[in-house]
Amino acid sequence: MPARLISNKELLSRRILAIDDEETNVLLLANVLDREGYRDVHCLTNPEEALEMYIKLSPDLVLLDLMMPKVDGFQLLEAFSRHDQPDEFRPVLVLTADTTLQTRRRALALGAKDFVAKPFDVIEVALRISNLLETRILYERLRQG
Amino acid sequence: MAAAKSSWAITSYWTDRPLAFKGLVVVALPLGILFGALISLYLASNAESRAEDDVRRAFAIQRDTYQVHALLAEAAAGVRGYVLTSQSRFLEPYRKAEAELPATMERLDAEIRDAEVRQRFERIRQATVRKREGLKKIVALAGTPAVRSSNAIAIEEALISNKIVLDGMRREIENIQRRERVLLDQRQAKVDEVRNRFLLLTAISAMIGLLGSLAAVYLFSTGIVRRVRTLEHNAELLARGEALTAMPDDADEIGTLGQRMDRASALLRAREQALRDSEERFRLVIEGVRDYGIFVLDPDGVVVSWNFGAERIKGWTAEEILGQHFSRFYPEETRNYLPSKMLERASEAGTAEDEGWRIRKDGSRFWANVVITALYDDRGDLRGFAKVTRDMTERRRSEEALRIAREEAVAASLAKSEFLSRTSHELRTPLSAILGFGQLLELDEEQFSPRHQEAVHQIMKAGRHLLSLINDLLDISSIEAGGTEVSTEDVDMSELLQEVHAFASPIVASASLQFVLDLPAPNLVALADRRRATQVVLNLVANAAKYNRSGTLVRLSCRSLNDMVQVLVEDDGEGIDPSDIPRLFTPFDRLGQQTRAKVEGTGLGLALSKRLVESMHGEIGFDAREKGACFWFTLPAAKAIKEDENPCQPD
Repeated sequence: MPARLISNKELLSRRILAIDDEETNVLLLANVLDREGYRDVHCLTNPEEALEMYIKLSPDLVLLDLMMPKVDGFQLLEAFSRHDQPDEFRPVLVLTADTTLQTRRRALALGAKDFVAKPFDVIEVALRISNLLETRILYERLRQG
Repeated sequence: MAAAKSSWAITSYWTDRPLAFKGLVVVALPLGILFGALISLYLASNAESRAEDDVRRAFAIQRDTYQVHALLAEAAAGVRGYVLTSQSRFLEPYRKAEAELPATMERLDAEIRDAEVRQRFERIRQATVRKREGLKKIVALAGTPAVRSSNAIAIEEALISNKIVLDGMRREIENIQRRERVLLDQRQAKVDEVRNRFLLLTAISAMIGLLGSLAAVYLFSTGIVRRVRTLEHNAELLARGEALTAMPDDADEIGTLGQRMDRASALLRAREQALRDSEERFRLVIEGVRDYGIFVLDPDGVVVSWNFGAERIKGWTAEEILGQHFSRFYPEETRNYLPSKMLERASEAGTAEDEGWRIRKDGSRFWANVVITALYDDRGDLRGFAKVTRDMTERRRSEEALRIAREEAVAASLAKSEFLSRTSHELRTPLSAILGFGQLLELDEEQFSPRHQEAVHQIMKAGRHLLSLINDLLDISSIEAGGTEVSTEDVDMSELLQEVHAFASPIVASASLQFVLDLPAPNLVALADRRRATQVVLNLVANAAKYNRSGTLVRLSCRSLNDMVQVLVEDDGEGIDPSDIPRLFTPFDRLGQQTRAKVEGTGLGLALSKRLVESMHGEIGFDAREKGACFWFTLPAAKAIKEDENPCQPD
């Protein structure tokens, strides 16, 4: 593993919000994150509360399912990007069982920063999460100057 | 017969002359006859005056001869008295005779024409000369009484001879008188004859003049008037469009006019006949049209003609509907405005089309396509409208059925897509939990007993198999539903094969086989969906690796085949039983499943590959080898490749 700009401690202290209407999935993600050592993980199974929680928690990364009842992931993506400042880099990793090209394009166009198909490889997901968090941290440092 | 013929020839000659000639003849004939009569009158009157002249001259000759005789007789008597008395007063008649005779003789000389009279007159003239000389001698002899007595004998002789001369002369004069009387009678007779002839001539002239006038009138009538009347009659017939009275082919203007009129009439009738025929045909066609209601409206919209199709479609017979306003074909909701609007539009734009509900005689509705065309005459005045109505109810029904079927199909397709999407989600979500938690267990397997470790492996193996099964099944279904779109592009086969080679090498290596890649020429380019083509090649290579248990290699190659690009995946394994070949590409029909239970696979790989290849307009197939198997598929070759184009694959 190459020398890292960001300490493991800083990375693992970051706040992550996982949103999926399936409790099992949220639990799996929580387990994966726990195994990696993340300490500030919040899980949500009711997508109607997602925006509220997003604003309240102001997470560093969002893990988002797309196919959810009542409010789906696309609507949430729009809501998040409306809420954020234009120069904010707050990554959303989309996790979905719908792997069609249209869905991927649509999600990425709406501001998702990465896309992982379900069922996913645990290690791959963990790597993508840490990558996105690193990018956010570096972005923050650049802004602070 | 001959006479008739010659009379016909004359008639024909006469009718064939031009009108100017006929007019000249008709006018000149009575004029000529009149002129002839005048000449004959003149000649007759001339002859009569000449005859009267002759008579007058005869009287003058008579008178003058008498006078000559009288003068000489009186002179002789005077001379005799003078001789007897010697008184000179007796010489008076003699002197008078001497004075007048020469003039009288000259007159006679001028007047006399007849030869016999002239002969006698010559004798008289000589006798006159002798008589005068005799008298003169006597007068000289008896000039003095002395002399007279001495000359008594000579005088006596002279007197006697004078007397003889006078007697001779008197005889001659009598002869002349006699001759002149004869001549006079002759001339008188001639005068009478001339007068009679003149009277006769006048009468004949009058007759001829009358006949000439009659002839002129006849000629005028036969040559012109009668034919002009026929012509006039023919003109009337022509105007009425009837057959003309036949006219002979005369060469004059009337004849030519007649022939022209005849030709015009024939032409006119031929045209009329053609027009009637055409109209009749047209009428029959229009009336016979079954599927279109064709009828004509007057400018106010009243039906004036009605065909069989209209009767068939709308139910009214011609007798029932003629004279009615066409708005009654419209249902109540449109009757008030649509008919007048349609006519308005048709008269403005020339034609108006509409599709909508119309009603039949029995009140039932039908869906009609209607075209109204405005009819204008030569002067541009609106004459009415032609209306063509087509019953579209059946078509509308089938269109409606088709639309519903299409909508249902679309809905079904949407439902299927929706189902696929949902199934995908519903199946993957629990599977993702199974695989996710399984993987977490796998990662911590050193904490487990070997038995639990094996259990985790089995869960993961079954889970991954289930995942690939679901993926393949969804792929097939989605291709069959037409849900996934094919995005074709130019695919460099050399690149694609290299990618697959790199990706599949571990799989082939894990089967302890050699992976041989025969690269094609760099410009072998197919028109394909890159992802799908890759998937198919991978499938075939994985299959070859999986099933080749006895051989040593898997060979991947590609070549150009007519308009196609052919990819071949060969192995040197057991091959495939010929009886299994027909079922190779059938879903869930894994060959030799019983004997090769150890082989992993969904049984969908070839079926999916077949659908993928076919979705790119290619073919998939199998060729048996002496040892081993050869699976191949084709893709359409790209039409033209730019030489300098070097497509760069993103990672």
